[in-house]
Amino acid sequence: MFGQLFIKECRQTARSLIYWLIVLVLIFDFVTQLGEMDIAREPKKGQENYGMKMSDDKDVIMETALGGLTEEYLRESYTTYPIGFYKSVTLDKKEDAKIGKIINEATGIKGRDNLEKLWEEWYTAQEEKMQLQSGQEPGEAAEGMEPAMMQNLVVKPAEGLTYERFEELMDQADDILGGGSNYAEDYRKKNARVPKTYEDAMTEYHELIEKDRLTGGYARLFSDYMVIFLGLVPVFLAVTRSLRDKRASMNELIYVRRCPSAVIIASRYLSMLVMILIPVFALSMVPLTQCMKHALTEGISADPFAFAKYILGWQMPTIMIALSVGIFLTELTDTALAVLVQGAWWFVSLFGGTATLTGGMYGWNLMPRHNTELNWEGYQEGFARLASNRILYTSLAVILAALTVIIYGQKRKGRYQLSWKNIGRSKK
Amino acid sequence: MSAKIKIRDLNQYYGKKQALKNVNLTIETGMFGLLGRNGAGKTTLMKVLATLLPKTEGHVSVCGRSVSKAQEVRRITGYLPQDFSMYPNMSVYEAMDYLGVLSGLNKAQRKQRIPELLRRVNLQDDRRKKVKALSGGMKRRLGIAQAILHDPKILIVDEPTAGLDPEERVRFRNLLCEIAEDRIVILSTHIVGDIEATCENIAVLDAGEIIFKGTVAELIDMAEGSVYQAEISKKELELLKKRCIVTSMLTLGNNVMVRFLSDSKPFASAKPCEAGVEDAYMYLMSSRGGEAECLDSSL
Repeated sequence: MFGQLFIKECRQTARSLIYWLIVLVLIFDFVTQLGEMDIAREPKKGQENYGMKMSDDKDVIMETALGGLTEEYLRESYTTYPIGFYKSVTLDKKEDAKIGKIINEATGIKGRDNLEKLWEEWYTAQEEKMQLQSGQEPGEAAEGMEPAMMQNLVVKPAEGLTYERFEELMDQADDILGGGSNYAEDYRKKNARVPKTYEDAMTEYHELIEKDRLTGGYARLFSDYMVIFLGLVPVFLAVTRSLRDKRASMNELIYVRRCPSAVIIASRYLSMLVMILIPVFALSMVPLTQCMKHALTEGISADPFAFAKYILGWQMPTIMIALSVGIFLTELTDTALAVLVQGAWWFVSLFGGTATLTGGMYGWNLMPRHNTELNWEGYQEGFARLASNRILYTSLAVILAALTVIIYGQKRKGRYQLSWKNIGRSKK
Repeated sequence: MSAKIKIRDLNQYYGKKQALKNVNLTIETGMFGLLGRNGAGKTTLMKVLATLLPKTEGHVSVCGRSVSKAQEVRRITGYLPQDFSMYPNMSVYEAMDYLGVLSGLNKAQRKQRIPELLRRVNLQDDRRKKVKALSGGMKRRLGIAQAILHDPKILIVDEPTAGLDPEERVRFRNLLCEIAEDRIVILSTHIVGDIEATCENIAVLDAGEIIFKGTVAELIDMAEGSVYQAEISKKELELLKKRCIVTSMLTLGNNVMVRFLSDSKPFASAKPCEAGVEDAYMYLMSSRGGEAECLDSSL
């Protein structure tokens, strides 16, 4: 029964307009984000810029963290990620004064005015640097040089400030901000970034072609772009499918059939999942082919299954949760409320993910970001959290789908009706 | 297992409102009509039998299976709701095939049964037509076909002829009679003509209560001697309508030939006549409201 129903549901999905709109959105996402993919080549000596990397140098960690804290203090707005989700924090006067005191002790600079002066000087210097770079003739910049961009403010620590005391002060600042701030131990280390050397770039390149076997890195990049829309669009498919019976006045014809509710919901759910995975797999063929061709010419041993692994492990949990929210809330409310809920969740996740674009810090974000084919090391470091994240969302999706089966079963027996007009259980 | 539906002391509530009051019925093979005005509780009773509503109180069994065991009851019942449709973009055959899978029929069974049923309901030439392109009558026939797709022992049909033209209505009633040869068909309707043409056994529901159960002949017997016919003027008609229940009238020039209910001969020109189902139903309903008797004999 399940197999035949599954095929029929797939056919229904393939005939729905919303499905083809979703396919178009995914194609648009792919073409605009990853269409013109350049495969990384071995770094050359003498390049002006090899990108940035994390640093474990205590001075760099202190300067970066103090710069960030000063900037947010002046802006009077702090970005935090409590339990992995984005949050904007504004402090009251008392807490603001405490942060001011911490900055004063850590940098030796007293008062908001002096800090503002320091920031203005930094800003002017950055502007001059950018003008200088943009004034160069095209082609003058060395190969591999990154476009001119503003660097974050760095502030030197106060003379005599020990690293231990710095850590204490940053922990205090993090407590005031409610945790998950850029001054928490993990974040302050990850935010400390320095330019990569040629050796660093070579190490990363070798990790890409040896550890990631080329395709692994690009499969992550592909996943990074695809999850952006996969965190939202499946909900539309789920909502329209769940509302279709009601719209077609077919509910009662289906309710009285002998087919168990679990089979009906599972066939619908899995058919939608498979139908969304089909265009994702199809699109992955483009970068996979590019990678395999490049690997062949460069003599790299590429993994032809890397994209499949990342689609199933990275992207599928996101699709599953969006579908589950869709079917669960639609069966629960008989409305399209799920679109609003998933839309809000997607927006928060998208916004929250921008601070962790380069990967390694996946948190509990619905759409884990890793916007580079490189940073294999960061991926390795963050893998445990990423795996927990994906397992959590997969489990949540399965739980919501199971709850949908229960609600659907109750509706079939007339025990759950939203209008509450036709409940036959209560009596005078 | 006995092909019987047994309903004992069934009470059904919608919140504080009691929709069914102490209903007791036994239904056996053949056409069974459930008659009553709109809102009498017919659809509620149908839904309890079709396992779409949980019973509040009482005992209801379908072929020996309690309706609380929905899965078991659904194997042996077919249901055609009052308002229904199917996915508009599916063809007639596809819709049947989809519902066939949900009914647990395998591919071979569906391949054999669907064309057979479409032929029976005269839709074989429309099998490729989209559901959205079907007329009201065709949709009803498709509804019957889907309801008997899994060859159920019980068929529950709720107000099936509403909105059909006379030709479709006759065709539909005949179809139901054919289907009822070897199973129980419960026909719920407020159209007396449907019952008259198809059912031997009936029950009349009013405000959630069974006010009559028995054969159509027994219902007619109740009204025997209370039905009169007379040719009166149009002026007299107004007076008669105020005093008696007029069940039919036919204009004959300036006069009107009326058929009405009265417990005794109301005026000299009134002639007693044989009661029909419609007369009997009106007699039954009016006697509940105490309106059957003519107020006086002054015409």
